[in-house]
Amino acid sequence: MNPRDVTIIVPVYNEEGTIIQVINDLMDRGYDIIIVDDGSTDSTPYLLQRFKDDNIKIYRHVINRGLGAALRTGIEAALSRKTSYIVTFDADGQHDPDDIEKVCKPLIDDKADAVIGKRNFSEMPLSRNIGNFIMNIITLIFYGIKVSDSQSGLRAFTRTAASKIKINDRGYGVSSEIISEIKRRGLRLKEVPIKTIYTPETISKGTNLSVGIRILVKLIINILKRL
Amino acid sequence: MSRLLYQVIGILIGLIGITLSLKRFKEGKTSPTVLIIWLLAWLSLIIISINPYATSYLANILGIGRGLDLILILAIIGAYYILFRIYIMIENLEMELTKLVRELALRESEEDE
Repeated sequence: MNPRDVTIIVPVYNEEGTIIQVINDLMDRGYDIIIVDDGSTDSTPYLLQRFKDDNIKIYRHVINRGLGAALRTGIEAALSRKTSYIVTFDADGQHDPDDIEKVCKPLIDDKADAVIGKRNFSEMPLSRNIGNFIMNIITLIFYGIKVSDSQSGLRAFTRTAASKIKINDRGYGVSSEIISEIKRRGLRLKEVPIKTIYTPETISKGTNLSVGIRILVKLIINILKRL
Repeated sequence: MSRLLYQVIGILIGLIGITLSLKRFKEGKTSPTVLIIWLLAWLSLIIISINPYATSYLANILGIGRGLDLILILAIIGAYYILFRIYIMIENLEMELTKLVRELALRESEEDE
């Protein structure tokens, strides 16, 4: 796999503790990187300024609009470049950069159009585990898709697949929405096991119970809108 | 006497409402449709104040027991409708704001190149 064919989208919101390490790890592997700073209010924007590499492109939302909006900006930016594969990668340091090759493999072998990295739930802290479990059930009920990890931040798409996926959700509900879009557009989805690194940062953010409930309310409204 | 008091207050509020609505329309702050809706609302307030039995008459036609019940039901429906409209409005605003922020991010980066 030529790392130049892969564009990594890193949505960032107040990640001053982890962002440098995450980007350095990705740069070491030679990937093309798109960072979307979703209106960070800590020192993240300042830290990002030090990356002046041709392979890194930084897009900045002037105010925080949520994970969904950041991913949408990232995907749109990635599609404007010559890239064959698009990967989304969380900035909180929970993913292992070595897993990028793993999630891209089914795409390169033409066995899938979209891949979702499946985290190991037995290692996950209980509070997060419950939140994810609820989100998986919600994804199953509302979109009719059974996945083992609907909220994973490590995803990979072929260029064509990424251009077909339409994102409307602005917040964390985007993860379920992407899965529903994969199904709606008739794309082949594959789940690949990935490593997850749990740090205090990864535990405090992401899909906890209250975020789960908010996503649920949004999903119901979305369904009502389609009626 | 007490009936007279609320009748007077009702008529006064109705008249103030009409004046304000017309003023806003003249200043171009409301559309003709919205003006008509407000005028109708204020007019019905005045009519009900002058003749409270009018609501009972309407309530009977609709099969609702008392005139007051009819007003309450209409008020609740009206309030929910306004809530719904405000929800949609805010959602649209949020969507437009997001679009603006995203567009700005993509454009700014283009200019850097």
